[in-house]
Amino acid sequence: MKASRSGPRVGLTLVLAIGALLPLALLVALSVSVEWFYPTLLPGRWSSANWDFLGRGSEVIFSSLWTSVALALCAGVVSSIAGLFAGREIARLDGWRRRLAVALAFLPVAVPPLALSIGLQYSLLRAGLGGRFVGVMVAHIVPALGYTTLFFVGIFAVFDWRVEQEARSLGANPFDVLRRVTLPLLRRPLVEAFALGFLVSWAQVPLTLLIGQGLVNTLPLELMSYVNAGQDHLAATAGLVLTIPPLALLVVAGLAVRRLRVVIA
Amino acid sequence: MRGVEVRLDGDLVLRSLTMQVGRGERFVVVGPSGAGKTTLLRAIAGFVTPDRGEISVAGRGATALPPEKRDAVYMHQTPVLFPHLTVFENVAFPLRVRRVPAGEVRERAGAALDAMLMGEFGNRIPRTLSGGQRHRVALARAIVARPALLLLDEPFSALDPALKRDIRVALLAAHAQYDPGSVVVTHDFGDAAGIADRIGVLIGGELVQVAPPAELFARPASLAIARFLSIANEICGLADGAGNFSSPLGNLPVANGVPAGAAVAVFSPAAVRIGQEGGTMARVLEVYIHPQYTTLKLKIAGETVEAACPLGSSFTIGGETTVVLDRASVAVFPLSMAERDNKTV
Repeated sequence: MKASRSGPRVGLTLVLAIGALLPLALLVALSVSVEWFYPTLLPGRWSSANWDFLGRGSEVIFSSLWTSVALALCAGVVSSIAGLFAGREIARLDGWRRRLAVALAFLPVAVPPLALSIGLQYSLLRAGLGGRFVGVMVAHIVPALGYTTLFFVGIFAVFDWRVEQEARSLGANPFDVLRRVTLPLLRRPLVEAFALGFLVSWAQVPLTLLIGQGLVNTLPLELMSYVNAGQDHLAATAGLVLTIPPLALLVVAGLAVRRLRVVIA
Repeated sequence: MRGVEVRLDGDLVLRSLTMQVGRGERFVVVGPSGAGKTTLLRAIAGFVTPDRGEISVAGRGATALPPEKRDAVYMHQTPVLFPHLTVFENVAFPLRVRRVPAGEVRERAGAALDAMLMGEFGNRIPRTLSGGQRHRVALARAIVARPALLLLDEPFSALDPALKRDIRVALLAAHAQYDPGSVVVTHDFGDAAGIADRIGVLIGGELVQVAPPAELFARPASLAIARFLSIANEICGLADGAGNFSSPLGNLPVANGVPAGAAVAVFSPAAVRIGQEGGTMARVLEVYIHPQYTTLKLKIAGETVEAACPLGSSFTIGGETTVVLDRASVAVFPLSMAERDNKTV
């Protein structure tokens, strides 16, 4: 039985790995080459020119990189904490109230990013936040919060609420329950939610473009400028730089959660 | 509790409930499923808000107080230990949230664990403990802050006899520590009788009788209670309305003013004395051996009756013996047609 199951499993794993790694391999190939035209399978000439070019403009690249990291960190922190509380309250509802709350939480996720951007642009500009880091951060938090809220609704759907009741019966006030019981139990989901919020912010383009008004420059926007100019090799190189921080985050988060046992209760 | 009413989803679960539990008293609530036992405990604990009535704990009004301020600890049916804390930290938890100094925490938590014979398990985490160990840690944690009231929801449910004995011993040890009041909910009469100072029978959200165990089983207040308690023997007969009840087992005096008409005598197997001189002849139909006693099914004057006798008594199926009924342990109730046909509560 084991032998017959492992074959398809290995095959599926290979397919998934190829599907994940092939685009990255193509980016790597594009970044270290010039003159790669259809229908050739391999680039015409290998070169470090693309990396050299980015290195010469490294000030702009690094500036946009740090802006992206700062935005994503803020979005990750705020959306994971707010998502925990929102998800917790939604999970405690039942019937039509819960369905309505879940639908509202899902809206920022379901609405196309461009439509969301236009809607947010109006309100944030009126609030004087257009073209400012804070405005772009607020805009990034909106979709990130949708994802993290839904994530925590799922977490709290299987949460054993009796631990909170037990804690209160033993003399803990609601703040103590949160600090000493609920949050420690949810350390791992919090790390996962932070990673989710970070990644949602990291990939944002329409929101940054419309709210930032060209004054807040992130790495995805730099990448878009190369794409718009038809500079595929430079775009691929910038794209690789774009993948490094989230990959690093996933590795760090993965190591962190491995140490935290899943004890949702 | 005084006149406490609780509605859940529109249904009246507790009906004008009034009861009192004294310091050091073990009050056990029994009742069928859906009677409101858990709701009663949760109302005292503060997890359910009464629609009417008052609750006080240790002389202090508690109706409007949140659970953490009620000086009453509620223990769930299955022990709910904090999985992210060690056994010691679980027991220390009530002291830490009360900002007790660290030295005193170590001393009191250690003493509570020792009292429950769990002193060596302080550094373990809950998922490595057996069921009985988890129960003992939960009890240690419940008593470490010395609450005035312990609320135990079905503590013996789904446990083997050895574990039940462990929990019973642990609960009595907790009482020996500092004498709290306890309200224990169970559906098992044997467990109830084993620990109770008084037993309250909760049926349909009402406390229909409160009495010490022996009195409850000997003198149930109604036929419904007798049937719920599974008091085994029911013999139908006629009451004359003048204090007498006649049945195939003979005439019995009736102390509780039963009106003339159809009536039923209810008595436990222990009320049937076997092998008594001058008793009524009985034939042995079946013999059941239990760990601590023997039950006989007897045919007496056309009626089938259960009797209990000490372990080691020797009877053969088909053999004969004589029996005498302990009249003081017989309760007689009027019997309607519906009650005669319906043997359940």
